Amino acid sequence: MPGAASVSVARPPARGRWVFLLVPLLVLPVPFLVNRYIQYVLNLILVYVLVGVGFNIVIGNLGQLAFANVALFGLGAYASGILVVHAGWPWWTTVVPAGLIGALAGVLASLPALRRIRLFYLAIMTMAFGELLRWIYIRAEPLTNGSMGLAVPPPMLLGLRLQSDRSKFYVFLVLVVVVVLLTSSLLRSRFGRAFMAIRDNELAAAAMGIATDRYFVLAFAWSGFVVGVAGAMYTALVGHVTPEAFNLLELILHFAIVMVGGLASLAGSVIGAIVLTTTPELFRSFPGVQELVLSILIIGVLLFLPRGLVSLLARRWPAFHERYYRE
Amino acid sequence: MALLELDDVTVRYGGLTAVAGVSLSVDSGEVRAIIGPNGAGKTTLFNAITGHATLTAGSIRFRAERIDGLAPYVVSAKGVRRTFQNGGLFGELTALENVLAGLHTQVSTGLFGVLFGLPAARAAERAATTRARGLLELMGIGHLADQPARALSGGQQRMVEIVRALATRPPLLLLDEPAVGLAPVVREQLLGVIRRLVQEEGIAVVLIEHAIEFVMTVSDRIVVLNDGKVIADGTPAEVPRNREVLEAYLGH
Repeated sequence: MPGAASVSVARPPARGRWVFLLVPLLVLPVPFLVNRYIQYVLNLILVYVLVGVGFNIVIGNLGQLAFANVALFGLGAYASGILVVHAGWPWWTTVVPAGLIGALAGVLASLPALRRIRLFYLAIMTMAFGELLRWIYIRAEPLTNGSMGLAVPPPMLLGLRLQSDRSKFYVFLVLVVVVVLLTSSLLRSRFGRAFMAIRDNELAAAAMGIATDRYFVLAFAWSGFVVGVAGAMYTALVGHVTPEAFNLLELILHFAIVMVGGLASLAGSVIGAIVLTTTPELFRSFPGVQELVLSILIIGVLLFLPRGLVSLLARRWPAFHERYYRE
Repeated sequence: MALLELDDVTVRYGGLTAVAGVSLSVDSGEVRAIIGPNGAGKTTLFNAITGHATLTAGSIRFRAERIDGLAPYVVSAKGVRRTFQNGGLFGELTALENVLAGLHTQVSTGLFGVLFGLPAARAAERAATTRARGLLELMGIGHLADQPARALSGGQQRMVEIVRALATRPPLLLLDEPAVGLAPVVREQLLGVIRRLVQEEGIAVVLIEHAIEFVMTVSDRIVVLNDGKVIADGTPAEVPRNREVLEAYLGH
């Protein structure tokens, strides 16, 4: 006997993921309509979409307070940069290795959680991991050029030089669409359901035959891969990788992207990346106002929309409720 | 040969002995109730069977195979499924997704197939979804499929949890206080469901319950625990006449 209240929260049956294809199609002509500065911001948004998507898997879907995201991002960025500068690899061949380095670091970050180190303990340990890496970036001077940062030449793709931000945009767009679709497939499978089952009730998940440890490692590894790829894109975009870019303030930005967009929501990560990348840029000409607006935005959204901006859209378009099965 | 055999099972937490040398057996096709006052060790006994608690001594055999010392997910995959006293649903998942999570070990998809949407993986996922919907409908709660579990009433949650536990057609089902807080009508439904499972599918059900009239109606044999020990084991006709049971329940 469903009460009236429970009827209203019923979600519609699963839909296709046409949004993840339609939106990229719609933005295809955009680079021809905007100036170079806006183009740069758009590219930055694409980088942060993957930063948010990857982070969200661990904190939203798996529900763990693991804050190694900046560490994964930095490792991806440095891996790509070092392979380009020191090994002479063309940039495009460093994307997957950067993802794999991120995945490896993600697995490393999951180890304390496997030993039942959770919540605040896991949070501080993973943050310390990020700070430790920053120390390594500074000290490993022969590889990273220390605190001066590593200057990386313009990215190469199949022999083409991606000199303009416009050309980078299309490469990034393809990467983002591919990674987001793969992530969506993962989350809609028994693997993704296992992540959320662990988040909601770990004992019951195990009682359902879910090998919880295995899914911890998988979630962290996939998260690390996605964020590692974002790191490689970051290197291609800015061409200069410095330890300072991967500090705790950067972590707050990553965290805010997920929370403002919406925990455990792919669409939310996209929205969060757009909002949190754009807002500071809008107020760039008013020094001091930037931080103020950003802080008020984060506090305001979470005060009134604890499930993030995506919950606002889901209220109007129920298709924004993500489904975790196929039909 | 009994389906489940507990031999001298003891579970100690530090200085506290929660279960002290319990031996009992469960046969296929029977409903076995475990009753006893609060703190008698009933839920700990369940946890011992499912691998959620570690045995200090004794052994547990399921289909003649030792299962004590195995991880909960291994015990579950062998065919021992349970519900939880305080509700074990995945709150943010819908009823349908909960049942799908219950089918986890039976969806034969690999990571590669899932990521690249290979036809076999898609078909396996679709088949599981169809089956999960069918199970919810069979239990008369098909209309709840797309509701998040946390939005369901207590009785509805209980039913979804039972469907989820049954999804893999386990030979042994452990229910921790299935009837508590249920409206009489829902309680009757639950009774019907348990009877049907036991009679038609031949599975064994072990349930912990305080609602004594429910226990008397549904059980074939009743075990009474007190202070972690078995103080009586018999049919619903025998147990209430046991002197120790009367003492445990009514005081001296």
